[in-house]
Amino acid sequence: MTLNQLIFRNIKKNLKHYYVYIFALIFSVGLYFSFVTLQFDPALDDATEGRKGAAAIKSGSVFLIVIVSVFLLYANNLFIKRRSKEIGLFQLIGMTKGTVFRILSVENFVLYVGSLNVGIFLGFSMSRLLMLILFRVTGVTDVATLRFSSEALLQTLIVFAAIFVLILIMNALFIKRQSILSLFRVTNVTQQRVKKMTVFQAIIGVFGIILIVFGYYLSSRLFSSVFLGNQLFLVMIVILASVIVGTYSFYKGSVSFIFNLIRKRKGGYLNVNDVLSLSSIMFRMRSNSLLLMIITSLSALSIALLSLSYISYYSVEKSVERTIPADFTIPDTMRAMEFTQTLDSEDIAYSESAIDLLTIPVDLSRVMSFTGEESQDMSYTDTQMIVISDAVLSEIDVAEKGVLFVNSDSLTEKFLKFQRNQQVVFQGKEHIYNLTLKGTERVAVLPTRVTYGFVVAVVDEQVFRKMSVDKDPSITPEFTEYHGVDIENENDLEKANELFNVLGINEWAGHESKLEERTKQMQSAGMIMFIVGFLGLAFLVTSGCILYFKQMDESEDEKSNYTILRKLGYTQMDLLKGIQRKQLFNFGIPLVVGLLHSYFAVKSGWFLFGTEMLTPTIIVMLIYTALYSIFGLLSVLNYKRVIKDSL
Amino acid sequence: MVILQATKIYKTYGNKFNKQEVLSALDLKVQKGEFVSIMGASGSGKTTLLNVLSSIDRVSQGTISIEGQNLNDMKEKQMAEFRKRHLGFIFQDYNLLDTLTVKENILLPLSVQKVSRKLANEKFHAVAEELGISEIATKYPNEISGGQKQRTSAARAFIHDPSIIFADEPTGALDSKAASDLLNKLSDLNTKRNASIVMVTHDPLAASFSERVVFIKDGQIYTQLNKGDQTRNEFFNDIIKTQGVLGGVQHDA
Repeated sequence: MTLNQLIFRNIKKNLKHYYVYIFALIFSVGLYFSFVTLQFDPALDDATEGRKGAAAIKSGSVFLIVIVSVFLLYANNLFIKRRSKEIGLFQLIGMTKGTVFRILSVENFVLYVGSLNVGIFLGFSMSRLLMLILFRVTGVTDVATLRFSSEALLQTLIVFAAIFVLILIMNALFIKRQSILSLFRVTNVTQQRVKKMTVFQAIIGVFGIILIVFGYYLSSRLFSSVFLGNQLFLVMIVILASVIVGTYSFYKGSVSFIFNLIRKRKGGYLNVNDVLSLSSIMFRMRSNSLLLMIITSLSALSIALLSLSYISYYSVEKSVERTIPADFTIPDTMRAMEFTQTLDSEDIAYSESAIDLLTIPVDLSRVMSFTGEESQDMSYTDTQMIVISDAVLSEIDVAEKGVLFVNSDSLTEKFLKFQRNQQVVFQGKEHIYNLTLKGTERVAVLPTRVTYGFVVAVVDEQVFRKMSVDKDPSITPEFTEYHGVDIENENDLEKANELFNVLGINEWAGHESKLEERTKQMQSAGMIMFIVGFLGLAFLVTSGCILYFKQMDESEDEKSNYTILRKLGYTQMDLLKGIQRKQLFNFGIPLVVGLLHSYFAVKSGWFLFGTEMLTPTIIVMLIYTALYSIFGLLSVLNYKRVIKDSL
Repeated sequence: MVILQATKIYKTYGNKFNKQEVLSALDLKVQKGEFVSIMGASGSGKTTLLNVLSSIDRVSQGTISIEGQNLNDMKEKQMAEFRKRHLGFIFQDYNLLDTLTVKENILLPLSVQKVSRKLANEKFHAVAEELGISEIATKYPNEISGGQKQRTSAARAFIHDPSIIFADEPTGALDSKAASDLLNKLSDLNTKRNASIVMVTHDPLAASFSERVVFIKDGQIYTQLNKGDQTRNEFFNDIIKTQGVLGGVQHDA
């Protein structure tokens, strides 16, 4: 038999072992190719403004390369370990390490090229679907067409050739390091040595949980405390470190510690569920703690990013509604008239609201404070504030000595606290106005662009008139008036928007069209969500696969245990029930810990991204959990087969 | 009383065109409380015989009944039920679960039968006392010696008072001291608990601890030796002689 025949037969015979590897390869290639195809698709430029989208996808693809190569290297590692016996045998019959390496490399190459072809084909067909999804989330109405990009092909080939070289190097190192004897033993060595629970481990376990809780606590105080707020970067590092180290010790100690307590209570009398889940996980989790820590932290990261990007996408509508109350914002009377006259001539029905704005110096020291600790070095005595009359707001009436703050929102309230029934002192040119703060309302009266994101004071009409006569002429604010135009009929909105642009009104500062703003924000939020979603999915699948591979390996290791148990009279059903519980823990613990981490991460800073937290976060988490569970199910199926074969 | 009866059992491997007959028309009876050894050269079908007798494998033809129940008629689930109540196993490589302590390993057959915890504890103490492994109850298998492992395995086989215990080369991986230790314990338990034992071995010394030795050759019973009133040494010599006759490969002239 020549070497080539040997290689050929090897591939045929080992296909069963290879299929995991082939799957990993095809999946990675498909993922990468479809993603890169998007990057080179000219239609992408329509979906986003110019090259911005392509740049975003490009940076996404760098992350994808990292994910994919780690995944492939891991799969290859698993796969070569399974074949260690064969490698040892080849050496035993007199092949040099070089020859063995050549055999493996040629085998690998054949598989690699085959999978690459299949993967590229699949990726190509998938790219259109991706394009459709991208158009959908960014609200673009283009037709997605199938276009084969040779640049994408070239890039994919280069990347995977590089990964192939990495794999070869890894294999060469593996073969070089191993002696014949150790090759025969490799599968046994990887088996966890069963050790007794030590006090040290119990301490690590408790320590891990404390660290995680500490990290959660810090993250919840991150934006509500001035002290922590000032050291934002440092505190974030501390949170990250304590959660990550905590997670590691959680797997290293806490899980076995807790399981050990449960087990002690049973006094040696374990039922089959305990045998298969408790005792096995106790030891395995400890030896896999590094891997599990990485998987957990990264899934927490990807869930958190997914949630945040979905929050911002989900909130676009509401946040635009809040930042731009009227369909068209025109802070200038002349241009407002020009616009309304044009609308009249085009027979478009509308309603207009006009508000005069006064900008007056104000002393807020008695009403305003930052949330959390007091800070001495901030002075609120020489702020300027926009004041409007209560006459323009039909639903609000303010007493002569009172003042009401409007245009507040959740973000403002997160950082600033306004004390009711305290004095606000407005400084006119001649007079001083002492008014009592009656409250803070979340009504959006003026656009954020005009108010600079600060609250707006509403005073009684009488007081407003006095103030406007008494104002300091040296203060020249950017805006002195505001005109909001609302189109009555929604169908006219597009046309009105066109007129708004044709008249050139949109080019003036602070002149905004709500429709345009919404589309713009939709596109950028949609684009980010798409990329984060894609990477999140890639990560989800790879981490799911890694856990699944791990379980496949474990099932082979534990096969002899199933044989014993079945000889003792446990039925396949009994064993399968225990396995199901084991998988619940195996996949469930990293998932739950990841979800918890991401929940606290999202909770600490979501308000910077949007207006609604719970619904988008829960939706993201549910989808993630559902997709993730598929791998748990697959692994139960695999165990079912192993158990069936065990006797 | 006959506890195990095998009549005219055949076991063949392979397909119609390429048949390999491992057992052919083999008959065997085991009485209640009897300690029987099965001996034979490698490839004579010892282990296959033990597998079919112990319901792990099925025969191609013939019937096997244990305590009057025919194994052929049983479905997979009934078979498991039967194994858990009536059979005990001891293996050459101990077959202990590495992730369980000695006590947990021994209690497994009771937990599968859902025996109450109190009763299980009592039984454990009784059997552990008899086999001298009470002190290592909380140790893991990789912390104890081979002999201790095999005694643990034996304790697991005896704890649920099965009607018959199958032992496959139980002394194969033990040194001679540990081996005779174990065999003494086995024959003690055999008389005390009145449990039948069927042991496959190729070690004449191990076989000499039993009451009857069945020699197998090419899937058939070649001969049988009864200990009767002989001492263990005399019986051992008999076994050696028979093995000598049996062991040689016949050279056709």
